[in-house]
Amino acid sequence: MEFRIAAEELKRALYRAQGIVERKTTMPILSNVLVNATKSGVQITAFDLDVGIVSEHPAEVTKPGSLTLSAKTVFDIVQNLPEPQVTVRKLPNQYAELQSGSAHFKIVGMSPEEYPKLPKEESASLVSVPGPVLLEMIRKTAFAISTDETRYILNGVFFEPREGGKVRMVATDGHRLALVERELAGDFKLKGGVIIPRKGLHELRRLLDEAPDAECALGFAENSALFRKPGLTMVMRLIDGQFPEYQRVIPKEGERKVRIPRVRFIEALKRIALLSVDKSNAVKIGLTSNQLRISSQNPDLGEAKDDLDVHYDGGDITIGFNARYLTDVLSVLETDEVSFELGDDHSPGVVHAPGDRTYTAVVMPMRV
Amino acid sequence: MRAILHVDMDAFYASVEQRDRPELRGQPVIVGGHPRRGVVLAASYEVRPFGVRSAIPMARALKLAPTAVVVPPRFAAYAEASEQVFAILERYTPLIEPLSLDEAFLDVTASQALFGPPAEIATRLRREIAAEVRLPASAGIASSKFVAKIASDLAKPDGQREVPPEQTREFLAALPVSRLWGVGPKLEERLHRLGLRLVGDLASRDEGWLTARLGDLGAHLAALARGEDDRPVIPDRSSKSIGAEDTFEEDVADLEVLRPRLHAQALRVARRLRKAGLRTRVVQLKLKLEDFTLQTRRCTLERPTDDGQELYRHALALLERAPLPRPVRLTGVSAQELDEVGEAQLGLFGEPPRRSEALNRALDAIADRFGRGAVAPADVLSLEEGEPVDELRARAGASRLDLAAEPKRSPS
Repeated sequence: MEFRIAAEELKRALYRAQGIVERKTTMPILSNVLVNATKSGVQITAFDLDVGIVSEHPAEVTKPGSLTLSAKTVFDIVQNLPEPQVTVRKLPNQYAELQSGSAHFKIVGMSPEEYPKLPKEESASLVSVPGPVLLEMIRKTAFAISTDETRYILNGVFFEPREGGKVRMVATDGHRLALVERELAGDFKLKGGVIIPRKGLHELRRLLDEAPDAECALGFAENSALFRKPGLTMVMRLIDGQFPEYQRVIPKEGERKVRIPRVRFIEALKRIALLSVDKSNAVKIGLTSNQLRISSQNPDLGEAKDDLDVHYDGGDITIGFNARYLTDVLSVLETDEVSFELGDDHSPGVVHAPGDRTYTAVVMPMRV
Repeated sequence: MRAILHVDMDAFYASVEQRDRPELRGQPVIVGGHPRRGVVLAASYEVRPFGVRSAIPMARALKLAPTAVVVPPRFAAYAEASEQVFAILERYTPLIEPLSLDEAFLDVTASQALFGPPAEIATRLRREIAAEVRLPASAGIASSKFVAKIASDLAKPDGQREVPPEQTREFLAALPVSRLWGVGPKLEERLHRLGLRLVGDLASRDEGWLTARLGDLGAHLAALARGEDDRPVIPDRSSKSIGAEDTFEEDVADLEVLRPRLHAQALRVARRLRKAGLRTRVVQLKLKLEDFTLQTRRCTLERPTDDGQELYRHALALLERAPLPRPVRLTGVSAQELDEVGEAQLGLFGEPPRRSEALNRALDAIADRFGRGAVAPADVLSLEEGEPVDELRARAGASRLDLAAEPKRSPS
C-alpha cells in the first residue's frame, strides 16, 4: 500500500481521532487508527468500541491496501513534517513508512485484520438535520449529564422525537436537569427515545463545531446512532436502558417568580460561591420584596453577600443552591434576563428564558 | 498561647438525681444497679468521705456507707442533661472535644475576642449551666489539655481553677506522678522505683537520664512534666474517626449478650456522626479479648452512611464473621473514614430510598426534646431498663455505665 497525502489532511483526521482512541487500553489496537487506501482516496477510522469515526480524505493512491497507525505518534509526527506532503507506505511486518521531504519515519503498526468492526449502520434511517440546531441542543443539555459511572443510564442525553416534527433532548445527573425542544423534522423511526452516551455526544459536538453549517444527517439503527456529514461518518453505541420519567420532576409553574439580569446573576453567583463550604459551591438565595440576596458562609473563611435589584413581590424565601448548577444553565442561555421560579425551599428551582419554556432547566436545592 | 478549658460535671448522675428529687439533696446518694452484683455508677459528694466512688462494686460501697440512699439510674435523664450542657458549651466555641457524657475539652483561644479571658468564659459557662440545667460543673483553665484536666479535678466540686502558662511547671511540680496522663499503677510503681514520686522529680531530671531508663516514654513524660502538651482539641466534625466502646466488668462469651451492646454503640456513633454532619464509609469493630489481645475487623460500605441501624448491621456481620476465640472484655464500634455530608444537595428523583434519613431526623428531634431514652430499639431499651435481662446485665456488669456514657477517647 502506498499513497501521498497533504500533511494538513492527515493531521485533521488524526486530530479527530485523538478524542476517541484509547490511551490506556487493554486492546492495544484501539490506540491505532485504521487506514484504508482505495482508488478514490483514503479512509481513516478511529474506534473505541463505543464511538467510531470514519473520515474520507483525498490522496494520490498508488497502491491500494490497508494498515494501522498509532494515532498519538503519527499525530505528533504530522505536526512536525518539513514539507506539506507526506507519502505513507506499508512495509513488511506491519511497519509503516512516512516520508516527507528528507525526513523518514518507520513506525510500528499492527495488522489491519485485527481492527474491530464498527457497528452496522445500513439499516439506519437518516434524517437531515441543521447542524446549528443540533449543536445548540447539545450545548444546552450536555453539562447536566451525570459523570457518576454507577448511574450509567444518566451518562448520556435522552433523545426523544415528539409530535409535530420536534425533538426533545434531556439530560440529568439526578440533581439538575436540562430539557431542550427544537424542530428537527423527519422520521427517526424511533419508538420512544434513545440515550446517546456522553463521549459520543462530545465527539459529535466537536464535529459540529468544526463546520456548523455543513449538511448533516442523523439516524438510528438497532442500538447505535449514526451521524453523517460530507466526508465523515460517525457511529456510536447507545446506552441500553430506560431513561427516568423526567416529565414528573419538572414543576408546572412555580409559586414564586422572579426575573433576574442574567449576566449580573452569573457574576454574583461566582463571587459569592468563593466563600462556600469546601468546594460545595453552596450559596443561599434569599428573595424579599424586589431584592435578591446571594450569600455564603464558611466557618473557616468568612462570609459574603451580594444584593440584586429584581422585580419580585412573592413571599419571602431563603433557599440553598449549588451555584455551579445555576451558572451552568445561565451560561448557555442568551437572553438579557432569565426567569427563575421557585416553590418552597425543598422544591426544585426552574430557570428559563422569559416567556419561553422550550429550554428549561430544573435545579434541586441544597439544604442550608 | 492556647486557651483550653476542661469542663467536667460534678458527680453527674448523682447530681441529676439530687436535682430532680429534692429529698435527696444533702444526702449521701449512690446511683447504681443491683445491690449485690452491680457497680457504683456515681457517688454524690456527701457519700465520698466514706470512700465510695464510681466503679467500685455495690456490695463494697454499701459496706462502706450503710446509710447511703441507692437510686437506680435513669440514663435518659442523664443524656438529656448532657445535651443541654453541651448546647451551652457550644455557645462559646465550636471547638469542643467530648470525652464522655459529662466532660469535654474546649479550645477557646479564638473565643477570647468575643467573650473575654478564658477564666471569665469558664465562669459564664458554669453560671449558665447552673442556671439553666441546675447542675454543678467544674472547670480547669490552662494552655494545654492535660493541665486543664488536672486543674478541673483539683477545682472540684463546683469550682474552677486557672493555671497561667508561666505557672504551669510550678503547678505540676507538686503533683504525684500518677496525675500525668498515661501513668497507670504499673508505670507509677516503676517511676517510684526510680525515685520519681512527684512531677517535679521528673521535671528536674535530665531528659537523657529518663530516656536511658524509660525509652521514648521517658521523653514523653519529661515533656508532660514541663507542661508541654500540644495535642489539639479535636471536635467530632474534624476528627478522623468517631467511635463508642464499652468495657464489661465481666468477660462475655455469648453473642446474644454482645448484640444489644453493639447495637447501642452503633446508634451512639451514628448520632454523633449526624450531629457533626458527617457520614462514614468504613465501619470498624474492635474486640478486646479476655487476655487483652486486641482484634479489629472492618468493612467498607458502598455508600457513606450516618444511620445507626446500618452501622449495627455491618458491626454485627463483622462480629459474626468469625467465631470468638475467647470471651470479650470490650467491644467498640467506630466510623473510620468520614465524609462531610455533601449530600445536602437534594435529588430530583427520590434517590434510591434513604428512608432512614427521615426516620433519623424524627428520632433526633425526639431525643433532643425528650432525651435519648425516649425512643430506642427494644434490645437497647432492655439494656437500660433491665427488665428481663437481669442475668445478662450481671454478666456484663460495668458496661451499663459505659452504655449510657459517650464514647471514651483513649488519650492518644
